[in-house]
Amino acid sequence: MMSMTCHTLEFGRTGVDSVACGCFFNASLDRFTVKNRARRLLQSVHRGHGARKLRCCRRDIARCRVYSTKTSEALLNGIVPGPPPPVLEVNKESRSPISVTELFEVVADDLLTLNNNLQSIVGAENPVLMSAAEQIFGAGGKRMRPALVFLVSRATAEIVGLKELTREHRRLAEIIEMIHTASLIHDDVLDESDMRRGKQTVHQVYGTRVAVLAGDFMFAQSSWYLANLENLEVIKLISQVIKDFASGEIKQASSLFDCEVELEEYLIKSYYKTASLIAASTKGASIFSGVDSDVSEQMYQYGKNLGLSFQVVDDILDFTQSAEQLGKPTGSDLAKGNLTAPVIFALEKEPRLREIIESEFCETSSLDEAIELVKRCGGIERAQALAKEKADLALQNIQCLPQSAFRSALEGMVKYNLERID
Amino acid sequence: MMSMTCHTLEFGRTGVDSVACGCSFNASLDRFTVKNRARRVLLSVHRGYGARKLLCCRRNIARCRVYSTKTSEALLNGIVPGPPPPVLEVNKESRSSISITDLFEVVAEDLLTLNNNLQSIVGAENPVLMSAAEQIFGAGGKRMRPALVFLVSRATAEIVGLKELTREHRRLAEIIEMIHTASLIHDDVLDESDMRRGKQTVHQVYGTRVAVLAGDFMFAQSSWYLANLENLEVIKLISQVIKDFASGEIKQASSLFDCEVELEEYLIKSYYKTASLIAASTKGASIFSGVDSDVSEQMYQYGKNLGLSFQVVDDILDFTQSAEQLGKPAGSDLAKGNLTAPVIFALEKEPRLREIIESEFCETSSLDEAIELVKRCGGIERAQALAKEKADLALQSIQCLPRSAFRSALEGMVKYNLERID
Repeated sequence: MMSMTCHTLEFGRTGVDSVACGCFFNASLDRFTVKNRARRLLQSVHRGHGARKLRCCRRDIARCRVYSTKTSEALLNGIVPGPPPPVLEVNKESRSPISVTELFEVVADDLLTLNNNLQSIVGAENPVLMSAAEQIFGAGGKRMRPALVFLVSRATAEIVGLKELTREHRRLAEIIEMIHTASLIHDDVLDESDMRRGKQTVHQVYGTRVAVLAGDFMFAQSSWYLANLENLEVIKLISQVIKDFASGEIKQASSLFDCEVELEEYLIKSYYKTASLIAASTKGASIFSGVDSDVSEQMYQYGKNLGLSFQVVDDILDFTQSAEQLGKPTGSDLAKGNLTAPVIFALEKEPRLREIIESEFCETSSLDEAIELVKRCGGIERAQALAKEKADLALQNIQCLPQSAFRSALEGMVKYNLERID
Repeated sequence: MMSMTCHTLEFGRTGVDSVACGCSFNASLDRFTVKNRARRVLLSVHRGYGARKLLCCRRNIARCRVYSTKTSEALLNGIVPGPPPPVLEVNKESRSSISITDLFEVVAEDLLTLNNNLQSIVGAENPVLMSAAEQIFGAGGKRMRPALVFLVSRATAEIVGLKELTREHRRLAEIIEMIHTASLIHDDVLDESDMRRGKQTVHQVYGTRVAVLAGDFMFAQSSWYLANLENLEVIKLISQVIKDFASGEIKQASSLFDCEVELEEYLIKSYYKTASLIAASTKGASIFSGVDSDVSEQMYQYGKNLGLSFQVVDDILDFTQSAEQLGKPAGSDLAKGNLTAPVIFALEKEPRLREIIESEFCETSSLDEAIELVKRCGGIERAQALAKEKADLALQSIQCLPRSAFRSALEGMVKYNLERID
């Protein structure tokens, strides 16, 4: 599946072209067709002759699959259902001396095992959901969050002389990835997004019902596996994250187009939506290694600051990258009224920007004008400084770990992120 | 709020009339209006002058509120945001010699405290969600699941000489009710239902986005409170339920209009969707009382059999009650392709029924014909026998409890349910 790309697409370009390829999947996307297709998909699996039907659909999906390498989304949300694909050096994007694949090399085997386990967990009891999960699993990117769990697990294991990762370490990584994936699927329903990483979103292809169901299922599975880890501290830690996700969504939904938003609020929302999960992952990993609580606390801070830095960089790239690079339209956050760091900084300088935003971009060219204003007012530069500030904090947090290939990789993650906006 | 009913509605009839009352809430329900209304509700609360706007919306909701007493839905899904309303003796419906209010009288104060706590939990951090939650909280019915928790808590407390309910008992009841409410909100999105208990569903009024968000938020809150109960056995028990909910939804979604469905499958699905939560509630309550595991196991069986009995009765009433009594159209399960006990039994006898179902009711009068066939083939009677069978098992499971007002109420619940179909 991974090696098949649409024959009409150039390598390295993204889903913008998939509409043109005439694939069955793009043929008719009206609500009725989507609903019926989803229902037939669910039914055909149930009736047992589904295996064949399901495979046809998979081939169809595969035919439209494209990989964008090193897009911001890919980095933050990266998961692949197989071994990391070779790095595609496309001119526009090969700016970083560090490649994510190299960073994850030291935990490549752990990631392979994770992929296999995830497929079993999600597919075994309910193979029908696998299809929807693959819609999002199978996009270009790396499994960054599980990779962080493995890196921190191994880095902290050295402190206590732990030789091999525990079953809990591995299960934690799987839980984290399931929670993350579930939140993406629901997020896309909430944002009414059509595209993610150059592919259509789950609800665009399968309908809202399947998307809500798939998300609920994965949340439920992760809660169950979490409970069965039988570690109260980690259970409480991760439950807090799920609560934070919901709070973050609500915060965002209630402040769309609201120009009164302050930086502190933005950081809290970014914490809830992004950094909370990463912080809980890194802290959880260290808990299962059995290190002292001050080390666990440092790992928490590392994850939190890394997560905030990532989010700020993502928010910058939403302004500076093209649609092809992003895998979705430029400035889509702004278009939806989600005011991020660059905008918040620019609003301090430019009253015209406020006008445009409060008009909710009712005029055709106003979004482009707004993006221009953000750039001209130094919104980007100030956001870059913010990203760097968080990154520096993350690097400090790492200092308590012994020198190792794993610690280096963790440092590399921080730097790699910043290089995306150099 | 609770005392205001629409002036054009007769007491005791249900939401079918609310469309006719001309209330602004029903005026325009196209997607755009709903979305904008939802967004404005969210925005106005955020900006601080929301209290006023939110109140306006509440008044609008209240104006259309109607209470249907003792409908099947009300019994199974009953929650009211205040003291139990006086029993309304409407002729068609006053068939039961036992009244729910009487049964719950012994735990009336516990339910009052629960209501207050729930409002704080759901409203405090995110008052905006309270609006959506009220859409479903404020319908006619009683808080059956929490009532069961309190009854079992008090009944089992007697065994070990526990004088007062613990904080954990109360929190468990709140968690159960939040999980139940969250599942209803998502269920209505998944089923694309417009009405529940004579009121519009959350997503019908606020849009899918708010519905998904409200459901996610409540699931998240309950997971967090659950984790902070710090009892691994109960955490695992409830996590299993959440997993079962998702599995049940998938099972149902993948077998719509599938006439091959067998009774066993239907019972499993009913367990996942209904009985699992009730069984976990009753077992959890007994765990927090600190009774022996064999008593806990009996409480589990009681909950499970009561839950299955409820579901079968609900499924019968979907055929035998009118739209007014149900608070939604009659035969709506069947119309959606959800084949329940009466249908499954009837299918064994009547090939014509199979034809109609497999045609997915493409012809206008076919649903009515199908309902007629189900009744004529004895589908109702056999389902009644099934409900009774489960009810008897539930009564047996109760025998291990010492005689008390609480045990009597638990027995009363079983009998009250059966009387709905006498």
